[in-house]
Amino acid sequence: MQASPLAHHFESLEKQAHAARLGMWLFLATEVLLFTALFAAYGVYRFLYPEGFAQSSRSIETWIGFVNTLVLVTSSFTVAMGLDAAVKGNGRRTALLFAASVGLALVFLGFKAIEYAHHFQEGQLPGRYYTFEGVQAPGASLYFSLYFLITGLHAIHVIIGMSALAIVGALAWRGRFTGEYHIPVELAGLYWHLVDLVWIFVFPLIYLI
Amino acid sequence: MSPSSAPVSEVPAYNPRNYLNSPATGLRSWLTTRDHKRIGVMFLVATTFFFAVGGLFAMLIRIELLTPGPTIVDAMTYNRLFTLHGVVMIFLFMIPAIPSGFGNFLLPIMLGARDVAFPRLNLLSFYVYLLGATIALWGMIHGGADTGWTFYTPYSTQTVTKVVPILLGAFILGFSSILTGLNFIVTTHTLRAPGMTWTRMPLFIWSIYATSVIQILATPVLGMTLLLVAIENAFGWGIFDPARGGDPVLFQHFFWFYSHPAVYIMVLPAMAVISEVVCTFSHKNIFGYNAVAYSSLGIAFVGFFTWGHHLFTSGQSAFDAGIFGVLSMFVGIFTAIKVFNWTATLYKGSISFKTPFAYFVGFLFFLVFGGMTGIALATVSLDVHWQDTYFVVAHFHFIMVGATIMAFLAALHYWFPKITGRTYPEGWGLVGATLVILGFNFTFIPQFLLGNEGMPRRYYAYPERFWPLNVASTAGASVLAFGLVLILVYLLVSLRSGPVAGPNPWHSRGFEWFVPSPPPPENWEVTPVITHPPHDYHHAGEAPPGGVEPEPRHAS
Amino acid sequence: MAEQEPIARAEQELEHHAHAGRYALVWIALLVLTVTTYLAARAPLPGGWHVAVALVIATAKGSLVVLFFMHLWDQRGANRLVFATSLVFVALLVGLTLLDNATRFPLANPPGSAGALPAGGANREPAPEAPR
Repeated sequence: MQASPLAHHFESLEKQAHAARLGMWLFLATEVLLFTALFAAYGVYRFLYPEGFAQSSRSIETWIGFVNTLVLVTSSFTVAMGLDAAVKGNGRRTALLFAASVGLALVFLGFKAIEYAHHFQEGQLPGRYYTFEGVQAPGASLYFSLYFLITGLHAIHVIIGMSALAIVGALAWRGRFTGEYHIPVELAGLYWHLVDLVWIFVFPLIYLI
Repeated sequence: MSPSSAPVSEVPAYNPRNYLNSPATGLRSWLTTRDHKRIGVMFLVATTFFFAVGGLFAMLIRIELLTPGPTIVDAMTYNRLFTLHGVVMIFLFMIPAIPSGFGNFLLPIMLGARDVAFPRLNLLSFYVYLLGATIALWGMIHGGADTGWTFYTPYSTQTVTKVVPILLGAFILGFSSILTGLNFIVTTHTLRAPGMTWTRMPLFIWSIYATSVIQILATPVLGMTLLLVAIENAFGWGIFDPARGGDPVLFQHFFWFYSHPAVYIMVLPAMAVISEVVCTFSHKNIFGYNAVAYSSLGIAFVGFFTWGHHLFTSGQSAFDAGIFGVLSMFVGIFTAIKVFNWTATLYKGSISFKTPFAYFVGFLFFLVFGGMTGIALATVSLDVHWQDTYFVVAHFHFIMVGATIMAFLAALHYWFPKITGRTYPEGWGLVGATLVILGFNFTFIPQFLLGNEGMPRRYYAYPERFWPLNVASTAGASVLAFGLVLILVYLLVSLRSGPVAGPNPWHSRGFEWFVPSPPPPENWEVTPVITHPPHDYHHAGEAPPGGVEPEPRHAS
Repeated sequence: MAEQEPIARAEQELEHHAHAGRYALVWIALLVLTVTTYLAARAPLPGGWHVAVALVIATAKGSLVVLFFMHLWDQRGANRLVFATSLVFVALLVGLTLLDNATRFPLANPPGSAGALPAGGANREPAPEAPR
């Protein structure tokens, strides 16, 4: 990191912030489209195998998804509050709120791990590994392929986002950001909100319908 | 007329303090550079290398097809050769060559900027490219793949060849493409010089901008798709496997959702180059600036609505096929807008028939010929006859490869003086252009005829009645290869011993020609203030936006 | 396309306004909507309505996150355009792909799916015989 946050090829800090924000939004657009391929596959197979998908969806624990949604939404809220603290120049508060978000993310991953362990026991596994006796309708194994792809990719994003929040939070604790310059706080927050946003759509698709 | 007549300026003809030697010259300073010009040059070197590799595969394919039966390789090796030819040419050469190479070098200079918005990401993009290329190359050496560059399921999930490393290589290359596109979009939005409004931007930038939009929106879908195939191949999760309820046609939807727009990732930068070349070499403002600029965005947008025309015979519904067939033809409208505006620019221009202009002529031929066969192929009933024949092969080589290579070579010659500070031998340049254009035609026109007679693509052996045309095609390919080698040789010689070019050997009014050759590390000594559109030959003689003094316009 | 100056100003305003109250309201709304969608999924609804209700609620929640947590409400121009464009292409990929499967000659859909050839069990093995 250079001493001054202003890079030599920008004329002002605002312009640099605008560039960083736009770059982040473009990156988020690529993330959205990355998940889109999986959602499109989900849509197609749900259309082709309505019965298999409905039964499989009922065979998994809805309450875990429900609790995880509450957890993730709350973590998004603490991240937003962290940005608010950064805007006011309160780096320590930002760090604490980000730490809370990381904690909630760990709770999320913990529930996810319990859920995955359960699927492994039951044989609710993708493709050729599917041995679950409870649902034998066609398309059930595809449901679990998509289930693991979507939630797995999302979990990877949770881990990346968590790490970003941890790093930025640590920097905020050391007073690296000011009321004028806190772009990394904002960007890490944007990423985390996207992780939340994806889950908001994953939850009903996987667990509810 | 002599392009290298002495420039009327106090700036030395060869800029002594340039990006090539400042701040340092060592290998390390290149490998850790954040200068967009150096990164652009590194991309150019790397992509040219892979162009040669892909060309080598192409020559081996053509030699194998010289006789109806086995010629030099066995059938399995042949399958690997055409796969690797496609993978190398598309992912390692054509997609990055013009945007990452010339785009990187020129975009900030043309915008009047000091660098791209995120110089570190820019360097990262190059290393990601190298990483992807290395993994793909490793896969090629250790077995290669025999699926064709399209990796169609279910074959690609069952083949015994090493398809996974190549898939991963292409997946990683996608990130390089995304990073470059992201950088260009942000740079265009935030780093335009004072006075550089959107409608004063060079048309090169408009086209590169449209390319970047496609890179951002389409590449992630390809990445996911390749990953799914790799998972399917390695673990059998059944997403595309009909035995487990999967739909292989879904793979084709996903693949072409990226790969059809990818055609425009290759062709739009070609159009970017051509829009610059046509102005400079007819010494005339572009005809219909707005039409050319917005049609780039139009192509980028409409290009996304056409992917289904690759699936006409794959079991796609007739309803979807009809929609895609009609939508595909819209691309023709925007392309035609550009073609008519370029040709209208020539009208009453003062044309200097230099090497880049020769490539412009070749480009126009390939684009129009290839485009018209594309309209024919987008007609569902006709496509049923031509699908998977050499007609399709010839069509996409004309429009995608022909147009892109013409533009790549035009750019290489047009900006050679800017990048290296030296000029190439004009006579040899025209000889090379003639060989390449003729060779390309003799390679692929026979293939149009072969396809129309029903010869399927990707076949190792063929009936004897197809023999003469195959010989003609191989002969054409040899001429093409010879022309390309000739170009490489004289350009390498000119690097060292070419005459010094001066800042503006073409008497162009493009913004990049107002900086010294080779450009200094900071591009513009003072941030230029833009008061007129690029290539504004009406105002020739007025003060330039910054940098060097103007040259008197060369009357011819 | 985007003008530079208004963006810079709007974003500066964003930086100098505290949003704590707004964030709390959005958070509560998100919690309420999550509970609602959970309950709606268990309520007896006619066929097809569950999907519609769940997706409408998810879209509402997503909009709250994007507009307020991610500040698209306060920003103008380029950033909004980027996000809106990405959504258009999401709709495009999902829409035209689904349209294909929905309007296909039924036997061109994979075996086991609605209207196509039957297939055995959870499709762990390919169908042993080719039924007509």
